[in-house]
This record gives sequence, C-alpha cells and structure tokens, in this order.
Amino acid sequence: MTVAFGFLTGMALVSALGVVLSRSVVHSALFMSGTFLAIAGFFVMLNAPALAAFQVLIYVGAVTVVILFGIMFTQRPQVRRYRTIINRQFWAGLFVAAGMGAFLSYVLWIEEWPSATAGNGPREVAAFGRDLLGVSPGSEIFVLLFEVASVLLLVAVVAAIVVSRRKSGGGIDRGVEE
Amino acid sequence: MPQIPPQARAFLDALVAAPPLEWYLVVGALLFAIGAWGALVRRNAVVIFMCVELMINGVNLTLVAFADHLPNAGGLGVSYAVLVIAIAAAEIAVGLAIVLAVFRSRRTVNVDEVTSMRG
Repeated sequence: MTVAFGFLTGMALVSALGVVLSRSVVHSALFMSGTFLAIAGFFVMLNAPALAAFQVLIYVGAVTVVILFGIMFTQRPQVRRYRTIINRQFWAGLFVAAGMGAFLSYVLWIEEWPSATAGNGPREVAAFGRDLLGVSPGSEIFVLLFEVASVLLLVAVVAAIVVSRRKSGGGIDRGVEE
Repeated sequence: MPQIPPQARAFLDALVAAPPLEWYLVVGALLFAIGAWGALVRRNAVVIFMCVELMINGVNLTLVAFADHLPNAGGLGVSYAVLVIAIAAAEIAVGLAIVLAVFRSRRTVNVDEVTSMRG
C-alpha cells in the first residue's frame, strides 16, 4: 500500500507540475489526464472503486476530450517561450502557492484525528448507490442534491450551446466580426 | 522459511500497511497549491481551466480520504465527491463555451489581452 501510495503521489504531483510548466497546451491536457488517473488510483486505495470508475469515465474521458476540443478550436501556432505563456507574476505566484500549500499541509499534519482508521467508506457499490439516492439513513439530503445536480447539468448544457452558438446575423452583444 | 530479522520484518510491515489519513490530506493540499499556482501564473484561458480542475481534484481527494477514515462520516463524502465531479463537468462545459465565444470575437484566449471589463 505504501509503495502504491508513493507511486500515485509521484504521478499526481509530477503531472500537476507538468500541467503548469509545459510549454505546449496539448501536453498540459495530457499531463492533466495523468493527474486524474493518479487520483482515480487514490480513490481505489480509499475503498471507493465506483468513484474511481466515475473519475476515469468523466475526467479522463469526457473532460480531457472536451478540453482537447477547446484547444483545437482556440489555439493558433504560437511562439513557445516561457515569457509568452507565463505572466509577470511567476515568482510571486510561486511564493503565494508554496506558502498556501505549506500552510495547508502544516495545519492538516498537526491536527489530530484520534478515531481515524482506514476502511469506513462504503465499500459496496450498493451502499454507495443508496447513499447517493438518499435512501439510506443519514443521507436524506442527497435526494435534494441529486435533483439540483440534474437541473444544473441541464442548464449547463443549454447554456453551453447558447453561448458558443455561431450567430448567422451577427450579434451586437457577441461582437462577431468576420 | 528463512528467519527474517525484526528490523526487516518491521520495514516490510510498514510497506504493506495502509497509509495514514494525513498523507492523503497533504497530497490533496499540494495538488490544490500547484493548481492555484498555475491558475495564477498562466496566460492561456484553457490552461487556467485545467489548473482549476487540478484544484477541484485535490479537494475531492481530501473529501474521499475523510469519508474513508472518519467513522462518523458514514462514507457520505464519496457521494459529495460525485456531486463535485458533476458540477465540475458543468463548469468546464460552460467555461469552454465562454472561451470559444471570447476567441470568436477577439481572436485570442490570452487572458491578459481580454481587458475590456477592466475598471
């Protein structure tokens, strides 16, 4: 378990740094899917295999493909120098992010959870599904959250279509000048 | 079966033992920090979206680690993580649509050049 943890940690953090630091946007997207795969491995280690399957399906599959489509539509061939992809706040941003990461790690490390033991999660997919539908005791709020999430996904799909639609007449609000 | 010295036995036990809760939390915090760094310093709007996804994944990892380790959590953090994934998918769809609209009108996705709302 510790070996798997170390491997997944290295994969996640190195891929995350690759997202930030790689000069090609496509390489960033592929590094991002590597991070998502490592997170899916962590979910398996944490007794949530169904969530790992969701992670692989939605993130590694759908989100990466959508982002690659976005890259395909929006990128022009450009000079790949660090000065062109990273703004002037490089070191200040590194300072702030490192400080925040160190602070969060410190707080989470010194805090003690005396009753924390591994293996309390819903190991069975059936129990997980009952939690998600709000059937099992203690998870009644998920009835509401499930409905709200479905409405949100519908609204997001409609909004994505409306926002990215190409208007034939040329809209003032969108400023299409071609 | 050869005799294994106790130090090697302890080392092997440590290798197969489940990692404690704090390790997962620290990995989640570091992922969050790396994502925040990328969202602060990159110019490309699509890469900024990727870094936001990294931050969301760090938080998801923290949530699932707590759900697995805390006995009173009842494992509900996994269900919350599913909702977070759904909302992140909606966010990426709308966000990329906005990026496409901006690119169509301005021919760029560089967030330093999209400054028409600057006060």
